[in-house]
Amino acid sequence: MSHVTCIEFISFLDAYVAGELDAETRTTFDLHLIVCPSCRAYLASYQETIDLVRGVAEKEEELAHDAPPELIEAVKHVKR
Amino acid sequence: MQPVAAARPDERGLVDRLRAGDERAFEELVDNHAAPLLAVTRRILRDEEEARDAVQEAFVAAFRSIGDFQIESRLSTWMHRIAVNCALMKLRVRERRREQDVDELLPHFQADGHQQQSSVGWKESVEDVLQREQSRALVRECIDRLPESYRVVLVLRDIEQLPPDVVAEKLQITRDNLKVKLHRARQALRTLLDPHMRGAM
Repeated sequence: MSHVTCIEFISFLDAYVAGELDAETRTTFDLHLIVCPSCRAYLASYQETIDLVRGVAEKEEELAHDAPPELIEAVKHVKR
Repeated sequence: MQPVAAARPDERGLVDRLRAGDERAFEELVDNHAAPLLAVTRRILRDEEEARDAVQEAFVAAFRSIGDFQIESRLSTWMHRIAVNCALMKLRVRERRREQDVDELLPHFQADGHQQQSSVGWKESVEDVLQREQSRALVRECIDRLPESYRVVLVLRDIEQLPPDVVAEKLQITRDNLKVKLHRARQALRTLLDPHMRGAM
């Protein structure tokens, strides 16, 4: 791949962020990023989307209280 | 999220007691794992009653199959997988709604391959957005707006961080299909978040 357009860049963005592209393809993608501010912005917001999804779940778990006592009792009761 | 903490040193003892049918050991298992498992089933099911039922079923299943537990694995990881399975079983029996596709939420391109509308960087950092309850709720709301099969892929891969082959098997789809779905789910969510994040929430 000597040169990519936005459609190719965005189609393979998941492989790009996961580091799954071979060195040559990655270089081609990096070159596209240098000349395309729109794809730079897209890449950043794609990565931020993943970080937000994970971050929100982590925060929810951090703030979560213990499991409701009635659930704990119900589970223990089922066993008995 | 898959637990990352190291195995508790007394885990082997607990497993032995569970295998021996020790009532107190089962209670200990419930006390230690109910909260994180409920968080998992809530994320997958988005329904409190179903999420609690799934947790109950997970404990019953765990107790029944404690003999299959490999001592070299972590009890928390094993319980996590069981809870994911129980939640997914419930998703499967939900009446299959005609699901909307996410095509409209994917980026559009001109004939020459350029983006139809230029993307613009987001104003606020992820850290700042996560600090506020209101903006976290908005992110959660956008995730919940995704069609269910896309939302579940996003939850299992990007939140629970289960390996692709495990998720593909659980959802009974091919790894290629899973890859496509995850990429589309992230892109669709990015589109839903975009107007809020451009102007900062």
